Amino acid sequence: MKSVRIWFTKEHECKYISHLDLNRCMLRAVRRAELPIWYTEGFNPHPFVTFPLPISLGICAKRECMDIRITDESYDISQIPERMNRYLPRGIQVFDATYPELDPKFICYAKYSASINADGVEESDLRTQILKLCDLDSVIIQKKSKAGMKDVDVLPYIKVMEFASDDSCSFTVILPAGNTKNIALPLIFKAMENHLNLELNYNIVKLDMYTEEMKPFA
Amino acid sequence: MYSKEVEKILLKVQKPGRYTGGEINSVIKDKDKVDIRFAFCFPDTYEIGMSHLGMKILYSQFNSYDHIWCERVFAPWTDMEELMRERNIPLYALESGDPLTDFDFIGFTLQYELSYTNVLNMLSLAGIPLLSSERKELKNIVVAGGTCTSNPEPLADFIDIFFIGEGEDVDLEVMELYRKCRNEGCTKDEFLILAAQIKGVYVPALYDVEYNEDGTIKSFTAKNGAPERIEKRIIMDMDNLYYPDTFVVPLVEIVHDRAVAEIFRGCIRGCRFCQAGFLNRPVREKSKETILSQCKAICDSTGYDEISLSSLSSSDYSDIVGLLTCLTEWSDTCGVSLSLPSLRVDGFTDDIMSKIKTVRKSGLTFAPEAGTQRLRDAINKNVCEEELLNTCRVAFSGGWTNVKLYFMIGLPTETLDDVEGIAKLGQAVVNEYYRCENRTKGKSVNVTVSASSFVPKPHTPFQWEAQDDIDTILMKQKHLKESITTKKITFNYHASNTSFLEGVFARGDRKLCKVMLKAAEKGFHFDGWNDCFDFDAWMDLFEECGIDPTFYTARKRSFDEILPWDFISYGVSKDFLIKECERAYNSETTPNCREKCSNCGAACYKGGVCVEKRQNLVH
Repeated sequence: MKSVRIWFTKEHECKYISHLDLNRCMLRAVRRAELPIWYTEGFNPHPFVTFPLPISLGICAKRECMDIRITDESYDISQIPERMNRYLPRGIQVFDATYPELDPKFICYAKYSASINADGVEESDLRTQILKLCDLDSVIIQKKSKAGMKDVDVLPYIKVMEFASDDSCSFTVILPAGNTKNIALPLIFKAMENHLNLELNYNIVKLDMYTEEMKPFA
Repeated sequence: MYSKEVEKILLKVQKPGRYTGGEINSVIKDKDKVDIRFAFCFPDTYEIGMSHLGMKILYSQFNSYDHIWCERVFAPWTDMEELMRERNIPLYALESGDPLTDFDFIGFTLQYELSYTNVLNMLSLAGIPLLSSERKELKNIVVAGGTCTSNPEPLADFIDIFFIGEGEDVDLEVMELYRKCRNEGCTKDEFLILAAQIKGVYVPALYDVEYNEDGTIKSFTAKNGAPERIEKRIIMDMDNLYYPDTFVVPLVEIVHDRAVAEIFRGCIRGCRFCQAGFLNRPVREKSKETILSQCKAICDSTGYDEISLSSLSSSDYSDIVGLLTCLTEWSDTCGVSLSLPSLRVDGFTDDIMSKIKTVRKSGLTFAPEAGTQRLRDAINKNVCEEELLNTCRVAFSGGWTNVKLYFMIGLPTETLDDVEGIAKLGQAVVNEYYRCENRTKGKSVNVTVSASSFVPKPHTPFQWEAQDDIDTILMKQKHLKESITTKKITFNYHASNTSFLEGVFARGDRKLCKVMLKAAEKGFHFDGWNDCFDFDAWMDLFEECGIDPTFYTARKRSFDEILPWDFISYGVSKDFLIKECERAYNSETTPNCREKCSNCGAACYKGGVCVEKRQNLVH
């Protein structure tokens, strides 16, 4: 038995499907692609599939991955993208299948690109306002946790935030991701919305995942 | 597809995936290259509408023509609707994202009465005038088909054309006529008059209704050459009938997320409460070969690994064991599991069980419908207690420990003894489990008893009956609850006030149109959902409109009253329905179509079970 990491995009309308729906969609494709996949051996045998870093609803992704196990170790994994894409919508497309180099626990950061706008506000103004926000001591938002509501300061989570060279309100941002420390970008935007008293429209694209040393996850 | 405006609200609503389109196998065409745009509207949520087989069939069939583009529209859930109204976003179709006003046809499928307010609400969300008379141009033709068109009258003021019976042929004929009329520059009225000549088409605007002082119908008159009687459309050749080789595969989970193969239409049984059994006569089967090839095609193109056989009573397929044998030979090799809903108590044999054993043992459902033999005879269910217990024994030996039993309360001639009989029958099943030596050891049995409230439906032998009022139903539910003494039985029952409203619409007439209109103005929607249904608001509305809803539910009609739906013929004669009703009063059963022809009238279609050779006949 061998593990295989399947790389795919999640875009267009498919950004609006939940992790659970993505999971079902992938299971269907894996089964129909007739991969020699390993089935779990419990009461309800089903193909074994895990997602190293599940993505939240509403976010596009350029380089997502999921792990499966195959029973035939000599299977040519380069045929996987083409076989699976036949059963996938245009918003979810497999572009590579590799043997995993790193365990999912090494995922430490994720990089996103995002653009924000608000009705009735010039993008350059919005950009200035957001830059000012980032210079504050703290930007607090209430977050629901298992122990009830708690105050979270979102600023320390932002590792790097680089605005586009033009005047627009587009930027890339690197945030902690993975098992130990984690924050959702929409939560940061929510905090900004509260502080600016504006309704923000945003587009988020998850670009890649990194290890602690900022090495791309593979 | 969705517009920029829609994109802004998608992350603010629950399950945005139901508003985006873009599923595998959804059909995208160039709107400039098609002649007819058809918006297929299901007046309920995406998850429910996408589970509906009729929509899948017609969607694929319409789109198989180059000049037609059929798209899907569902009722947005309340959170989405609120945002759409707030931002003036009109209701749009999922494929193109275009508003409904861009469509030639806006077609609704009417599957249950409580979706009527959604029909009007969807039109209103699209900014389309609700009243047929206010839509004057030859565009946005609002059509409706489906089971509930068997009594279309409560929606008569709103719908331009009703399709009566099976839609595959008649819909296309009307579309073809529309294309011709548009090319010739006809008006909408001219088009409707011509359409009324097509068999299976009912244009309500071409009929006048007069009432007696007591509110019953005095006369029902056709004008402009429209036919006095509307005959249902029916397709006799099931093997050459269009069936899709692919389904749209939803991105979000829907209610029935699996492939479906239709194995036959109609039902041989003639249970007297069952509308579908009378509307779809006679039984017409697909051949095993056709079913197998359709199953294969759909599983291949969708990636589904579960296929469900669809019919009104699957075990009545004439060669069900042969069918399952040939289907399991295929499904076993490719990891597809078969499920077989709509099994009759007397149809669950060892043979069938061994074929569907691969399916997860989640539970088995049977519908004895009534608690005592007398009442089961009165409704012509033709199932006896011994058969039910035998079946349960088979199931228990096969490892099942969950059995669901469906009943109705409020059936004509029902007494409290019959209600108590439901509890007794449930108890008998529990006892059977403990008598069964091959049962799963160390496990307890769970019998779920569900009781819904009976609503008399048009075109059935009970169409003249009074429906139990809400208090009577509540009393019977309470009585049943108290009659159940074991914890091994779980008792479920339906809210009685939704059944009341269903009863009003089911046997309503045109006078209800003004209530429907007011309901739409007040924003009533999703009456089938507990979250939205407001019984008191409905009662206020009836009062405001000066309409007594019990006129439609509580009143027992005489056989000679003109019923609002009398002008529609489903091939079953009124004399037969009267005879069946009288037999019910005497608890006399009627044999099923395979045992003996009871001369219901459906033989006029010259096919299906009516011309089958009966096994008990000497050749």
